[in-house]
Amino acid sequence: MTAGPRPATQAWLAAAACVALAGGAHGATPRPAQTTCATCHRAQAQSQPHTSMGIGLELPPNQESLEAHPKLTLDANGYRYQIERKNGVSTYTVSDGSGALTLPIRYAFGARNLTFVLEYQGRFYESLVTYYAEIEGLGITMGDDRIKPHNLTEAMGRQTSEQEIADCFGCHATGAVSGAKLTLASMQPGVNCEHCHTGADAHMQAMAGGKPAPAPRKLGEMAAEEMSSFCGECHHTWETVVRQRLFGQKNVRFQPYRLALSKCFLGDDKRIRCTACHDPHVEVIREDAHYDRACLSCHAVSGKACPKADKNCVSCHMPKVPVLGAPMVFNDHNIRVTHAGDPYPW
Amino acid sequence: MRLAVTAVLWAIAPIAAQAATFDEVAAEAAAARRGNRIPEAIGLYRQAVQLRASWAEGWWFLGTLSYAAHQYADGENALDEFVRLDDQRPLAWSLLGLCEFETGKYDLALDHLRQGLAGKDLAPEVEAGVRFHYGLLLSKAGFFDRAKRELQRFARAGADQPMLLAGLGLNALHQALLPNEVTAERQPAVLKAGAAERFRMLGENDKAESGCQELVAQYPTVPGVHYLYGTYLSYTRPEEAMAEFRRELDLNPGNADAGALLALLLMNAKDLSGALPYARKAATQRPSDPLAEYVYGEVLMGTGDLPPAIASLEAAERLDPASIEYHIALASAYSRAGRYQDARRERRVSMEIAEDIQRREQAAQAENR
Repeated sequence: MTAGPRPATQAWLAAAACVALAGGAHGATPRPAQTTCATCHRAQAQSQPHTSMGIGLELPPNQESLEAHPKLTLDANGYRYQIERKNGVSTYTVSDGSGALTLPIRYAFGARNLTFVLEYQGRFYESLVTYYAEIEGLGITMGDDRIKPHNLTEAMGRQTSEQEIADCFGCHATGAVSGAKLTLASMQPGVNCEHCHTGADAHMQAMAGGKPAPAPRKLGEMAAEEMSSFCGECHHTWETVVRQRLFGQKNVRFQPYRLALSKCFLGDDKRIRCTACHDPHVEVIREDAHYDRACLSCHAVSGKACPKADKNCVSCHMPKVPVLGAPMVFNDHNIRVTHAGDPYPW
Repeated sequence: MRLAVTAVLWAIAPIAAQAATFDEVAAEAAAARRGNRIPEAIGLYRQAVQLRASWAEGWWFLGTLSYAAHQYADGENALDEFVRLDDQRPLAWSLLGLCEFETGKYDLALDHLRQGLAGKDLAPEVEAGVRFHYGLLLSKAGFFDRAKRELQRFARAGADQPMLLAGLGLNALHQALLPNEVTAERQPAVLKAGAAERFRMLGENDKAESGCQELVAQYPTVPGVHYLYGTYLSYTRPEEAMAEFRRELDLNPGNADAGALLALLLMNAKDLSGALPYARKAATQRPSDPLAEYVYGEVLMGTGDLPPAIASLEAAERLDPASIEYHIALASAYSRAGRYQDARRERRVSMEIAEDIQRREQAAQAENR
């Protein structure tokens, strides 16, 4: 996590700390000087901010990939793109033969790959180019490869609707949206505790004040369908993909959707829910063998699970699929028996 | 729309002509028809079928010629006889439905137009006319969402067609009426609502919004006006949309869909306890309303009460099986309830409907290019 807590929370915490310290001086029961989620949930609170979800969005001081690559360029669609880092600030420039448009990069969305949300003339734009970690350089933003810009503004980025930009910040930051409105004054970059554990802040504040407080809902109670809906609010549920008709290989990055297509997706079973494989408090694990345990929790119940192999299940049953138009590869979460030459299902 | 239908009918004989042993009346009727002597042909066909009631071709021509001559009661009678003899002709069902539409037998018309459209081999210009009337009747019967899916096909071409704008307007206002049932006093509001709805269907959102705002300002007490504006605001400004739905319910407590959509927005805002009474009331108020059943099912699912949620969603699906939303919701509900096969079936149906919508959108885009 790179930014401080919300102003209101910060003020409250300062007050709570003062009360605690004052109480200690007068012989009352000592309490920690500053109560945070880490006070009780140490392991999760320490590791989660460093995960891709925990980072989520980088503000200028923390845009490490841009710091490491102080000058990035790309020629595409007849325009030249340049991202330059000077004095801790990155700028995004698009130019053609006759002019240029330069904007500061305030919001870099992502952790490894960075797409920029730019403000221009009071509106938000999604940058037409993205920094891809795989190539350590710029490429066209996923999904924007069909855009043929006619001027510098169109070449700079794709103008977003209010709803879309609220969705972007709603998933990549915490406290950035209230109702359907953007509330950037209260935004914290990245997905923090409160983002998933609604009520965590109130719980923590009450506990710090020595008052009983209802705990946020235990997300571990969720079975597969409900958890897919929950995680899918950002990672795209099956419902969202079908409603928006996002069919074809590009949807491989929408894991809850893909998972719901699997024959083994049983909605009321916890063994196939997202957290059966992924702990959201630690960075995603890339070794195929790590996931064997989850597969075998069902498939090894009676005898040999697979006629071909006894390890690295996902290497065959969750094949790696490239995202068309971007240097990215995802494991297909539509778990299935695959054959060479099979078309991409849905 | 009617003229196009008529022009096509004249060229179509649904069955081969019978042998020449048929009496002279039949021959004279055919000659009069070919000579475009319509009143004479109608009279002769009428005589002929009185002589031989099993002559399907005679009933067919008597029906189609009567329809073309605006003699809808005669057309209805003749085509009704025809479909008793041959019920495999989508065009005959369609024409029978159109005659019934004109004679005011709306329930029958709705059923027969549906049968006609189910045949899927109508000439495009006939199908357009049939779909349009079918859409109007669905709206009159209170199946507003189904009606909208039919009527929106005509949005692009309909800027200067008052009948279409009135149909769209009534549908958008959720007034279960036909255009010819609108009073003169209400007509301006209905047409304005139709124009705003048409812009929304075409994706011209700025014009749609200003149309809605004018409507609310000029006709604030007309039933459905706040509902329409609420539906427009639902996706982008849910809080304002909720306020519009509340206004609609104050003025028009019988608008079950306003209550249902208010419940849906409350649920989306994580206020399940606020949503539940509105959803329950809407479903009770109009038990044949698929939207109300759907929302009640969704809200119940949110509370974790799966069996009644599934019952409501199944009711919505039965009432409007072509709506993708109801299949999507059912898939999720079945999945949560551990009914895996049912969930997979609903997922498959949803995806097929989605693909069908995609194909139609692509065809419409290609047409507009």
